[in-house]
Amino acid sequence: MRIRSFGALAWNGFREARRNRVTLVVGAFAVALLVSGMLLTSSTVAALERVLTDVGLGSMSLSLVLLSVFLSSGLLSREIERRTIFLVVSKPVSRGKYLLARQAGTMVTLTVLLAAMSLLFWGQLLAYGFPVTQPMLAAVAGLWLELLVITSLGLCMSSFAGQLTSGVVTFAAYLAGHLSTDLYRLASRSDSGSARALGKAAYYLLPNLEKLNFRGQATYGVAVEAGTLLEGAAYAAGYAAVLLALGVIVFSRRDFK
Amino acid sequence: MGSEAARGEELPVVARGLSKTYRLGFWMNRRVRALEGLDLELHPGEVFGLLGPNGAGKSTALKILLNLVQPSAGEARLFGRPPSDEPARRRVGFLPENPAPYEYLTGREFVRLCGTLCGLSGAELDGRVKEVLAVVNMERAADLLIRRYSKGMIQRIALAQALIHRPALLVLDEPTSGLDPVGRRLMRDIILAERQRGATVLFCTHIIPDVEAVCDRVAVLVGGRAVRRGTTQELLSAEAPRWELAVDGMGEEQVRALAAPSVEVALVAGRAVARGPDADVQALLRKVTEAGGRVSRLQPLRFSLEDLFMEALKEARGGTVGSEIE
Repeated sequence: MRIRSFGALAWNGFREARRNRVTLVVGAFAVALLVSGMLLTSSTVAALERVLTDVGLGSMSLSLVLLSVFLSSGLLSREIERRTIFLVVSKPVSRGKYLLARQAGTMVTLTVLLAAMSLLFWGQLLAYGFPVTQPMLAAVAGLWLELLVITSLGLCMSSFAGQLTSGVVTFAAYLAGHLSTDLYRLASRSDSGSARALGKAAYYLLPNLEKLNFRGQATYGVAVEAGTLLEGAAYAAGYAAVLLALGVIVFSRRDFK
Repeated sequence: MGSEAARGEELPVVARGLSKTYRLGFWMNRRVRALEGLDLELHPGEVFGLLGPNGAGKSTALKILLNLVQPSAGEARLFGRPPSDEPARRRVGFLPENPAPYEYLTGREFVRLCGTLCGLSGAELDGRVKEVLAVVNMERAADLLIRRYSKGMIQRIALAQALIHRPALLVLDEPTSGLDPVGRRLMRDIILAERQRGATVLFCTHIIPDVEAVCDRVAVLVGGRAVRRGTTQELLSAEAPRWELAVDGMGEEQVRALAAPSVEVALVAGRAVARGPDADVQALLRKVTEAGGRVSRLQPLRFSLEDLFMEALKEARGGTVGSEIE
């Protein structure tokens, strides 16, 4: 019964995204690929494979990250604002299960979109006579892990803040997450002790999304070792688990006025 | 003692000293007391009405019982268990005020989802979905998206989801608000049918005729406190009988001069009309006839829940509950 209600809620999350025409993102991506392909072949002669890979993975990453911020940051706040939540959390479903099921629904949506976009991207590469390489697969896997971390952060924020605050904080954390190592290096060179401490705290608190970014390797055809990929997966899973646990704790104690 | 405890275990709802103070503002430093010391005990198979004006604490009380809000003090129990207990909530159906089901689903899909969350599956779920959609007269519109529904249709679908698992306790928050007369009648019939089935119904409203029509017992909530409680009959008969006397041939002031202070005198359609307690109106009758006045009507006044409600409201005025506190 427990699994069935979890599945029903997760499936409902996917159905919500589908019916709210989130799948249009894939259509927009396909058009972007088509147009960029035509433009690039007419202007780029050398290193076409690299440019196509860079553009394909980059646009896939940007569109899905923006979508994941939008979906996750409004996931709970929209339901609380509209009071839809009264009808669900009054049912024999724990709030923790509800929150995790909503997260699962969002991840199902993003996974389906990522799979569709990847197929389009690889189709484009094959059409131009380029092979699908191991680093490309690793880059897609890394992007999935990145989306897991971002949606967990958005959901955690959404458990106590409104959609705008959650969205802004989540997107800022995404940007900072790709710069956390640089921030750390920059702060460690500072003369101020407090600036060094702040840089160190930011480095440990913010998600280190560069650990999950293999797009550079994909562009230049550098193989990603299994150990690196596993380390990234463990890091993302651990980080997401901590965020989701925090979200569950906050959400379970919250009053719905 | 043991049997008392056992009885308490079986009661659908028990609340002892239930209080709620909300903390508001950016720094959470503003406190608003919504409910204070509510005691409640619901017996199996009864229809209990929580009556009160807006902001009286009715919805807060229901939300505490459904684990949507944590009480600041006191204790609530559903079938002997705390509201956070999932098996206890499995026996409860809830219709919130102004329900907002997922509007991207059809009515049938939404009811089905709620049935699954309540533990139904397979043929039993299919059968129950059909049944409850028929009960709320929504079979024909069940496959339309909820975003296309009118307010009355949303209320019906929300009621269907509350009934899907044959709950032993049905909690309804303002169930008839926004419904047309047909919808209100349907809602009342469903409440009575649920009682017939053996379910306990707890509902809150500020619409007095609804309470008079279906409730076995009533508690009047004003400013977060229960100021009256009892069976509808008890509450109405507890008041001293009042009479109305219409006088021709005498002015309003003349009648007022003869009447005791407890008797209200007013000019209605050019005729002095006195209303007051039985003994004082009888005395006035004698004095009016002795003074040459002609009594054209003498009739008992029916004391209604509305009168009771207004009296309770007057008595409770000036309390700190429901407003900001230090």
